[in-house]
Amino acid sequence: MDLLNTFLIGITAGTIYALMAISMVLVWRSTRVVNFAQAGMALLSTYFGYEAVTRLESFWIALPVAMIGGALVAALVEMILIRLLVKHSTSGPIAGVAPIIATLGLLGVIRSISAMIWGGQDLRIVGPVSNDGFTINATTLVFSPLKLLILVTVLVLMLILSVIFQKTNIGLALRASAYAPEIARLSGIKVDWVRTLGWALAGATGAVAGMFQTVNGNGTLSPDSIEFSLLLVSGFIAAVIGGLDSLIGAVIGGLVLGLMISFVLMYVSSGLFFIAPFVILLTILFIRPQGVFGAKAARRA
Amino acid sequence: MHKKQSRDIVLFILGGVVLYFLSGVVDELRVYQGATIAVYVIAISSIILLTGYSGQVSLGHGALMAVGAYAAAVAHIELKLPIILCFVIAVLASAVGGALLGAAAARLSGPYLAGTTLALAIGLPSLANQFGVLGGEQGLLFDVGFPPLSLGEEFTQYKWFFWIAGLAALISMWAIKNILGSRYGRTWRAIRGNDVAAQLCGINIARSKILAFTISAGIAGLAGALLSMTIGTVSPSAFPLALSFSLLTGAVLSGITTLAGAMIGAVVLVAIPEIADVVAHRIGSSERVTTNLPGFLVSALLIVTVLFVPNGPVEQHRARKAKHLASQK
Repeated sequence: MDLLNTFLIGITAGTIYALMAISMVLVWRSTRVVNFAQAGMALLSTYFGYEAVTRLESFWIALPVAMIGGALVAALVEMILIRLLVKHSTSGPIAGVAPIIATLGLLGVIRSISAMIWGGQDLRIVGPVSNDGFTINATTLVFSPLKLLILVTVLVLMLILSVIFQKTNIGLALRASAYAPEIARLSGIKVDWVRTLGWALAGATGAVAGMFQTVNGNGTLSPDSIEFSLLLVSGFIAAVIGGLDSLIGAVIGGLVLGLMISFVLMYVSSGLFFIAPFVILLTILFIRPQGVFGAKAARRA
Repeated sequence: MHKKQSRDIVLFILGGVVLYFLSGVVDELRVYQGATIAVYVIAISSIILLTGYSGQVSLGHGALMAVGAYAAAVAHIELKLPIILCFVIAVLASAVGGALLGAAAARLSGPYLAGTTLALAIGLPSLANQFGVLGGEQGLLFDVGFPPLSLGEEFTQYKWFFWIAGLAALISMWAIKNILGSRYGRTWRAIRGNDVAAQLCGINIARSKILAFTISAGIAGLAGALLSMTIGTVSPSAFPLALSFSLLTGAVLSGITTLAGAMIGAVVLVAIPEIADVVAHRIGSSERVTTNLPGFLVSALLIVTVLFVPNGPVEQHRARKAKHLASQK
């Protein structure tokens, strides 16, 4: 029974990490920036969601509100910060680290602004369904209707994303701009706007991750919550496992990471909550520095 | 070169004398802040060495500082070593940690390295709760003792901290300056400039990168031990992720390749909470804004610097002057 429980917890957490990883991959593909502020943006979007939940008392309205909010924030960030960054910091010793430093600064700005507006205390978001476990033959599982719902919603979202990418013109433009921006521009794609769109999609995906991470955890939201530190690191690690460039890789990376953390916490020690992801990341990078699904060249970018 | 070096030594001694007299005339709080500035100078210069010269990013220097601080505290409590040896042990322990991390780092680049060290910064301090000897969430006491009586009755504890930290800062700045001017410093710059070309010149890239990480970590460990000296305890909460970020901010503000600029970053990091306090008071804002304003200012300053003075104020000034000279010709 423990085994099943651990597995199901890991899968649910993994799908949320996968969402976060997808949003990082979307940003990486569109602008070649690893967005360390992604979790901060997810936090801000979740606060939007919180406002909607408290006013309208419906999680299902709050979720799209958070997504739209997240998309707008991300698009603004791309238009203001990233475009300036690409223009200014391209020479000198700082060039290699400028995007990293800028997104870290952004993370700090978003966190402190959220803390200024909503305060440091815990705010509560009530999930759409109960998080009490299913009961089978008088034994209670940890797996709950909420976790089932998260699984299904995330799967649907991933399906929608992959349809966008594979079947629509927008998806084609996104892929083309990532693959060869110059040629894409020559064929009449407005690469700048496609990049903004990539960020917006990432913002919306991150918002969903933030909302679910909150209700799947203890249901509370604060600028310093452990859930978001974990989201920050796990999203990145999952994306790296997937090779940063591949959406499928991000999904698998998220699931693998979720399962691994869940099993380590269950069978090794629950005190390893924060150090386990680091060890997993190091192990994977030692075996394959370019990520499990990454192309050989991805590492150099 | 020889002449220049002896001039530098004179400058460093002069700096020490100025600091000595300064510590006599300003009030206690400023002396304490002076000690903090000295600690930040050391920590920031370790980042400048690593990021500015060897081109590697670390968001995990807060964790390496924690390693140094814990090593010093454990050496002091369990082994009852004299305090100066504790600082040496802090340097050695974090250098070993840095060598291990560096071995991993040498295989990684850019965002991969940043993310790995980020995971370390979040993960490592929580390890303190795993081992009883590290004292869990409360941490360990780290007490360097009272200043020696020979310094007089008036000599306060904070002034003693300031002396220790100031001396350590002068020594480590001098050491770093020499390392950067040596063969190793040139090797690192060559790698940062173009790693393929450096390799063709016969430079062992992985080894030099690990060396840079080791030295930088050792210096960070010293800064960590000094930081916990000024606080009086070593606990996980003294080394949050925010510390690693502020160090990076300090280094960027200083100019990521200007060692002498470390002072700028350190002063700014100490001054910002004060400035934020004044600003918050002026506009009469709520407690929420007051507590978060310093964090906001640090981060906003970081973004603005990266966007508009990416290579630091000193470097910017130098570039402008060079341009000016070129246009006059």
